[in-house]
Amino acid sequence: MIDTFSRHRPLALLAGVVLAQVLLLAFQIKRENNVRLVRYWAVEILTPLERAGTWMFSSVGGVWRGYFALRDTRAENERLRSEVEKLRLRNNELESQTAESQRLSALLSFHDTHPEASMLAAQVIGASADPTSHTLFINRGERDRLRRNMGVITPDGVVGKIVEVFPSTAQVLLINDKDSGVGALFAASRTHGVVKGSGDPEPHMDYVVNEEKLQGGEAIVTSGEDRIFPKDLLIGTVDNTAPGYPFQSIRVKPAARLDRLEDVIVLLSQQDLLPKKTEEAAAPVPGIVTPPIAPKPAALPAQASPAAAASKAPVGQSPAPHN
Amino acid sequence: MAYMLNVGAHSEPNIEVHKYYGGTILGTCLLALVFQAFLHKYGRWAELIDLPLLVTIYFGVSRRNPVTGLFLGGTIGILQDALSHDNPIGMYGIAKTIVGYLASSIGARIDTEHPLSRFGLVFLFFHFHQAILVLTQRVLLNHPAPFFTLQLLLDSVVTAAFGVVLFALLDRLRKRS
Repeated sequence: MIDTFSRHRPLALLAGVVLAQVLLLAFQIKRENNVRLVRYWAVEILTPLERAGTWMFSSVGGVWRGYFALRDTRAENERLRSEVEKLRLRNNELESQTAESQRLSALLSFHDTHPEASMLAAQVIGASADPTSHTLFINRGERDRLRRNMGVITPDGVVGKIVEVFPSTAQVLLINDKDSGVGALFAASRTHGVVKGSGDPEPHMDYVVNEEKLQGGEAIVTSGEDRIFPKDLLIGTVDNTAPGYPFQSIRVKPAARLDRLEDVIVLLSQQDLLPKKTEEAAAPVPGIVTPPIAPKPAALPAQASPAAAASKAPVGQSPAPHN
Repeated sequence: MAYMLNVGAHSEPNIEVHKYYGGTILGTCLLALVFQAFLHKYGRWAELIDLPLLVTIYFGVSRRNPVTGLFLGGTIGILQDALSHDNPIGMYGIAKTIVGYLASSIGARIDTEHPLSRFGLVFLFFHFHQAILVLTQRVLLNHPAPFFTLQLLLDSVVTAAFGVVLFALLDRLRKRS
């Protein structure tokens, strides 16, 4: 090394002297913006080094954080995943409890609204295996004093009636079943008819003459003449109408969600429910309104009642049409 | 300085190294610088000759020691920069350092006593010196100076011719062995 330097000493000296003078020049010369050349060079030389250093530290840090520092991440990930699953289950449970609480609250509210009526809350535990049959099974039966032809409702509206009673369960025939018939009338005009099921999701209202002017959304309530449901319980609303022979064809949109029933109320008697109480107690339960009892108009038009025939007919039979 | 000028004097023992009386080199270099500055007052013709460059080449070739040559050239160049009013110090310094080094190296290898070889040597070194100067200006000063013009050619011929005469005069200052 020393020999090599001694051999090339003149050349090394030349390089040193020239470099020293270049630096001397760089100290004197100013570039744009009055920046000395030596500073310009220093920045130009050092900036890439700094950039490289930053990149290197960043890369090393990234590798450290991305790989080495993640040694326990798999285990932690598994633990968190398990915790998320537990929390998800817990959340579903709570949501279910909340929904149930709301439903029960609505039932309770309805019961409180009508203390004069004898009623019993029940839970839907099953449905019919026959797709053309619209029936349900509830968790109340003979032991709970349930009998055939008792009305089943929800705070939203009429659901159906009990057709079979077993020791601890009962079968409910929904109003949209083809064998079902409920004495009904229009809340506004008090025109009578019968709401009958046809096997479709939406029942029909029969025995309404073509001259009767109806509007979509018009409320249909129980007439009480079938001796099953008290008077003025909301059944549904008029969905659409079409002229027919000899009566109009009226599709009814049920007020109760017949496809999503979970909790219902069984009316143990046919005692009339007072609309006055409904108005008072409808407010306290948030989110659960829709009193099923439609207010009575001041004047009741005198009209023939085809639903009376429905009330006299056995359960599951529809009265003969009036011509 | 005297030490530096003698450094390497024993590195090439087989080559004849010309020696001068004490203070000759120093005095000649100073005179060359003074004359260069002084003659500028008398018009454009004085710029045709680069006296400091001629002195650098002459003593570089005579001493035949690269270390001596580069230090001598560097010192003359820096002084020449110092005497100019607008050159940053180091422009001529770099050029003459390299010229001094090369002149010393070449002087040890070829005949530099014949007038024709001296003419050629000065001519070539003039353009080499100019090339380094232009390169430095372009790189450091961002000044696009030309590498070659007819004026430079004329300057180089005049300087080379004057160098032949000057070198013959300077030969008289050598110590007789």
